[in-house]
Amino acid sequence: MVTSVDERLAQTFVELADTLVAGFDLMEFLHTLTERCVELLEVDAAGLLLADGRGALRLVAASTEQARVAELFQIQNDEGPCVDCFHSGQAVIIGDISAGDVATRWPRFAPAALQMGFAGVHAIPMRLRDQVIGTLNLFRRAPHGLDQQVARAARALVDVATIGILQERAIRQQELVAAQLQAALHSRVMIEQAKGVLAERHHVTPDQAFLILRRYARNHNRPLTALAGDVIHGTVDIIPDSQATTRPTPHDEPGNSPGPGTASGARS
Amino acid sequence: MDPADPQGPARGEDAERMRERLVKVSAWIAAAHAGDAPVSIAALCRAAVVRLGVDGASVTAVSGPVAREPVFASDEVSARLEEFQFTTGEGPGADDFRLGSPMLIPELDSVAGRWPGFVSAAMAAGARAMFSFPLQAGAIQGGVLSLYRARPGPLGAEELADALVFADIALQLLLDVSSGIIGSPGYQPLDGVPGARAEVHQATGMISVQLDVSLEEAFVRLRAHAFASGAALGDVAGDVVRRRLRFGP
Repeated sequence: MVTSVDERLAQTFVELADTLVAGFDLMEFLHTLTERCVELLEVDAAGLLLADGRGALRLVAASTEQARVAELFQIQNDEGPCVDCFHSGQAVIIGDISAGDVATRWPRFAPAALQMGFAGVHAIPMRLRDQVIGTLNLFRRAPHGLDQQVARAARALVDVATIGILQERAIRQQELVAAQLQAALHSRVMIEQAKGVLAERHHVTPDQAFLILRRYARNHNRPLTALAGDVIHGTVDIIPDSQATTRPTPHDEPGNSPGPGTASGARS
Repeated sequence: MDPADPQGPARGEDAERMRERLVKVSAWIAAAHAGDAPVSIAALCRAAVVRLGVDGASVTAVSGPVAREPVFASDEVSARLEEFQFTTGEGPGADDFRLGSPMLIPELDSVAGRWPGFVSAAMAAGARAMFSFPLQAGAIQGGVLSLYRARPGPLGAEELADALVFADIALQLLLDVSSGIIGSPGYQPLDGVPGARAEVHQATGMISVQLDVSLEEAFVRLRAHAFASGAALGDVAGDVVRRRLRFGP
């Protein structure tokens, strides 16, 4: 049975709406979103960039390592469709990266993207009223654009992502947006730190460590950032074959006060 | 320190803008020193007061939920605000670490219901607005930078962007004080957390397991190693992640 893009989109909205209620975890939400983009929009990779409080673009989620590299490459060189999309607030659609004018426009990005195996890219701005807060970027290995139905679905997913980022509070001031993004970036750092801890404990690469972390979070219905904190503080030990043991601690629920600082204090 | 000397080729507009802001704030801090070292928490707080349009600034070192140690306060009111937060267990700085997000309160009055004990004491002391920035990188928690105003009103977008840079530098200073790097010739607090690559954070996690120490200490050791060997932080971190460099046994 073949389901239409619209049907699959509807299913994804239901799934994402579920994550917006109890135990909402922004990083988990954004990772789920980039993965769904790949499945639903028939692209090969997706990445999500957000502007931090200092006006700099940051990578917060990527469906694959190559998308991550492609995004970071653009941020680092301040060049490429995602960066242009962010600055102009307009979607940037490149059907064929190997076309001559693309290399003229982005002399560093175009050859690098081709070398990574990407042939097309579609960057969509995430808007909050007049402000562009980030971009969702879709990469394809085949050189053709998105059809209209898929482009519309992509637009809808971007709006959901924007709502997800802003949903925790009613946003009345720009300052609050900055604060929110700052929190998202902190959880990103925490997840990287937890990847390092797991990589060293289990002699795996950081990428493998991330897969272990996500699988455990899903199987145990734990927000990714909270789980990352538990791994760092040693209150949970994840064993790669998806079995896990939890050491008994005086404060088993890190979500409650006195907060995530407890375990590090108890450890030293 | 010569903050007017940008290093290396331009790395793009955003990176450049961020670096310009870093250079600007660093120059402010260097200009604010009086007797103490050019780069110090005290100078940082004094510069914040002048440049961010606030009436007082303080830095408190925090480790765990109960250990709070005032490092510097630019005036008596700032010192008392920190003390009230410690005694009542309420206030923006006491709540900060749960979210890792700055707490910006343009009208203290509006949060009286949330922190009844703290707000009444803070307003009696003369504060009307408070802005609190956790000095934090993921699970690394160094402390909190607190700003207050005697009149209500929000920080502007530009002031907020500058304040975030003040907070970044304050975290560097707190960590570098504990490693003893601070005061070494050529010390600069600019090689910092906010722009760090993912590998820096991964390496920090790996080192914390290798040495069986906290993330804070692992990060300090990583930075100290980079500083001592004259290598870039990102390069040392890359060696750790690729298992070419190992700390401890």
